[in-house]
Amino acid sequence: MEKDRIYKIDEHEPRRPFTVPEGYFENLTQNIMAALPEQESVYSTRITVTPWMRIRPYLYAAAAFAGIFFCIKAAVGISSRNNAAQVADIEETTIYSDEYIDSFLETAMIDDFTLYYTFVNAN
Amino acid sequence: MAMMAYDERRILDMLHEDELSRHRAFEAIVRNFSEQLYWQIRHMVLSHEDANDILQNTFIKAWTNLDSFMGYSRISTWLYRIAINETLTFLNRQKVTVPIETDDEGEMSIADRLESDPYFDGDLTERQLQEAIATLPDKQRMVFNMKYFNEMKYEEISEALGTSVGALKASFHIAVKKIEEYFNNID
Repeated sequence: MEKDRIYKIDEHEPRRPFTVPEGYFENLTQNIMAALPEQESVYSTRITVTPWMRIRPYLYAAAAFAGIFFCIKAAVGISSRNNAAQVADIEETTIYSDEYIDSFLETAMIDDFTLYYTFVNAN
Repeated sequence: MAMMAYDERRILDMLHEDELSRHRAFEAIVRNFSEQLYWQIRHMVLSHEDANDILQNTFIKAWTNLDSFMGYSRISTWLYRIAINETLTFLNRQKVTVPIETDDEGEMSIADRLESDPYFDGDLTERQLQEAIATLPDKQRMVFNMKYFNEMKYEEISEALGTSVGALKASFHIAVKKIEEYFNNID
């Protein structure tokens, strides 16, 4: 069969060919709301906050701060010991004055050759 | 109880208030969107009973997942997405995309089903149009229905489907061509 004309969709007015039972939309909101489940998870089972639950975050925070404090204290302790050692070394090297060394050398019965030999073979 | 006017900002606030406010806000949402969502679903599944079931499920899902809706998108977009997912799940499960013509096993064509449907009042051309639409892939069919029957703007469809306006225009154009071709191939 030869077609009379080509079908063009925009030559047809869009029309909704569906219907619904009488009064369907009037009662739709009511029907949907009636079918909704209880939101127990949201309100009915709202968790009761006990005193322990209330103070728990503070305890955890305090424990964390204590931990951090001890870590810092330990780190500072090690650091201060190292510093003390360094200070001691400095004190040891500065405690001997040139005059003391000179007098020590004079009384140490060390001649120039021995000093020269000592310095050359120091390493 | 007085009917609440639809004010999206106020409704979003009420959804985070007490149980009664939450209930009233949701009721306003249902009243505002149920009909347009119904038609969107109905055009996809064709049967009133199926459309009604999917619509109910859509709102139940929205209600039970109300806490997950943070208000980053419009309520309509959120609802459309739930409705689209529910509809596509239904179509996949029920295989509503049944053969277009009556096959050897005697399955009814969409035109036959619509002819016997008490809630379909279209003529032959409108039945054939539904058959032609049913040949489209699901998403293309959805775009076509949203644009052609529901007269939604491309921007609105874009929000609901998460597809660019350009892609939607192309999809609609292809759908129209396929439908016209379907009609022009009818004996």
